[in-house]
Amino acid sequence: MSKNSESNHTSFSRRDILKGLATVPVIGIMGAGAISYQSEVQARSKANKIPDFGTLGSSDVTNKLTEFVAPGNKLRIGIIGNGSRGLQLLRALGFADPDWVEKNTPNGKANANLKNFLQQEDLNVEITAICDTFRIYAEIGADAVQHGAKAGARQIKETSGPKLYHNYRDLLADDLVDAVVIATPDHWHARMAIDAALAGKHVYLEKPMTLTIEEAFALREAIFQTGVTFQLGHQNRQQVSYRKAEEVVAEGLLGDVSMIETYTNRNNDHGAWIRGIHPEANRDNIDWEGFLGSAPATEFDLDRYFNWQKWFEYGGGPAGNQFTHEYDCINQVMHLGIPNTVVATGGNYHFKDPRNIPDVFNAVFNYANHGLTLTYDCTLKSKTRRDKLIMGTDASMVLSINLNVFPDNGSEKYKKFNLDPEEPVFSYNPKQDETDATTSATAKYYQERGFGYTYRNGKKVDCTYLHMLEWINCIRTKKLPSCNVQQGFEESVTYIMSNISYREQRVVKWNQEKEMIV
Amino acid sequence: MWALVTLRVAIGWHFFYEGLAKWYQPGWSAQGYLEDSQGFLAGIFHWLANQAGLIGFLDAFNITALLVIGLFLMLGFNARYATLGGIGLLVIYYLSHPAIPGVIYAAPTEGNYFFIDKNVIEFLALTVLWLFPTSNLIGVDRLLNSRRSVENKSLKPA
Repeated sequence: MSKNSESNHTSFSRRDILKGLATVPVIGIMGAGAISYQSEVQARSKANKIPDFGTLGSSDVTNKLTEFVAPGNKLRIGIIGNGSRGLQLLRALGFADPDWVEKNTPNGKANANLKNFLQQEDLNVEITAICDTFRIYAEIGADAVQHGAKAGARQIKETSGPKLYHNYRDLLADDLVDAVVIATPDHWHARMAIDAALAGKHVYLEKPMTLTIEEAFALREAIFQTGVTFQLGHQNRQQVSYRKAEEVVAEGLLGDVSMIETYTNRNNDHGAWIRGIHPEANRDNIDWEGFLGSAPATEFDLDRYFNWQKWFEYGGGPAGNQFTHEYDCINQVMHLGIPNTVVATGGNYHFKDPRNIPDVFNAVFNYANHGLTLTYDCTLKSKTRRDKLIMGTDASMVLSINLNVFPDNGSEKYKKFNLDPEEPVFSYNPKQDETDATTSATAKYYQERGFGYTYRNGKKVDCTYLHMLEWINCIRTKKLPSCNVQQGFEESVTYIMSNISYREQRVVKWNQEKEMIV
Repeated sequence: MWALVTLRVAIGWHFFYEGLAKWYQPGWSAQGYLEDSQGFLAGIFHWLANQAGLIGFLDAFNITALLVIGLFLMLGFNARYATLGGIGLLVIYYLSHPAIPGVIYAAPTEGNYFFIDKNVIEFLALTVLWLFPTSNLIGVDRLLNSRRSVENKSLKPA
């Protein structure tokens, strides 16, 4: 035996050892390469202080849901305004109207939209009342609640349908309503939200928050006084790219920011707020006075009723409709608040239909207190894609549903790393499925800009659903939602300043201490 | 022979460095790659990408497999198993991202491929190495196998 083992050791010839280990030096070369590669990676990430983006855009909003889905804790919601946005909000709450379900079931198979909807968790809410000045819209809502598809595998059938109202004050007087979702024309936002708060109802309000600065003050006061839970409908607050962007800025990766660009580029009638007129609408099934409210009295006009965004009497124009989206993203990321001065210009040059809002609009928002300028350019006659751009001394961030941070050529901080300014030092680019059934050009536009879907744990989720979920969780835990009334106040004052500047052709100044236009 | 050994070491080098680069890259995950899968097995890869609990394991497994296979091929240590493992990995990569005409992936490629892409070439190269093993001649396997053959001889009845 011992003889054998001896012979084992002696069986390797010099030739065997040389040939057996011939390739080992290759490992050494690789090792040396690996060490230098590692130190380079470390130096790069250390210098750029790139946070661990894998954990950003936290998913705790969704994960906390289950503890509230106890029976008996049902939140009873009333819908005020059930037009096209109202139906989207109803879906976010878990109720899809039969028409939408049919549209998203081509060839008898659920498409991605419907599948995503069905996967939404049950929010444990009940729709007890629906109000609309157009009777058919209210009835479609009731149909969605009673006969439509339900999200989250909700098995319980609604025993009775929601009560239908054409006057929102009657809905607010209904004891079966704990909270309201308001998606009416903008000139009604403040009045309805204030009345709801005074009636003790929690409020989810579509953007823009208000149409005038006075209304913004009054609504903020009402929410502060009553203590109801208020969420403004800027669902971008749930978008992962914006949450990551906020951390990029907080980490100081961009250096000093001196300029921010925001845009709206659309080129279709729907994007210019020509939304069509319901074929069955008439004087008998529309409460025209209920629509007008405090707006100047005019003759019954279906164009004004359905395409109200075209008039400053009922909507905020490009600034109220679109800039507020861009602004709230920037405010979420940068916490800028209200600008010191605003100038705006533009005109209505291309759309010859009845309207008094501009189709070309430019505004400059100057923040002397932050040492930067925010610009907004809007055209309704070109679809060239321009994403939000935040420019800093060290890097610039291009922001939409995607996020890319490009190092600056002139950066002192990054100079030593010889970085390629064309190559992002950080990217967040979720895969965007082209077959998403984001059917209309407007829907695609919203999706690209990060107002449609986002991602949680690798799953595609509707931002509006998450935003609604946050509001409902905040009601149940008495916490402050992310897009609370102070954020809304800043949004409204900012965009309204640009509208005042455009319409009165003057520089509009804001006194930060006194909180007033000077 | 020297050409086959060089091929083995080169493929090992490539595998090892792929593993290393993924290991060092902060926050690297196969999730995006899996979500981008196309072809007839895309459903399975998409499903894998969405298994929150599984993805961390898959990432670790992929990196370890790349490193181990790469190291073994370079050393010529258990090169038969490493060759087989490498073939397996490449088949999975190809099935996830087959070079089908008209299909566009999220990550741009630096070349143009029609069914045959770099994964297929590397796969074929490994197949050649499987048919013409070299580690018994140049590689650690030479030492192990000569020892084993001595042991075998010694166990044989005289």
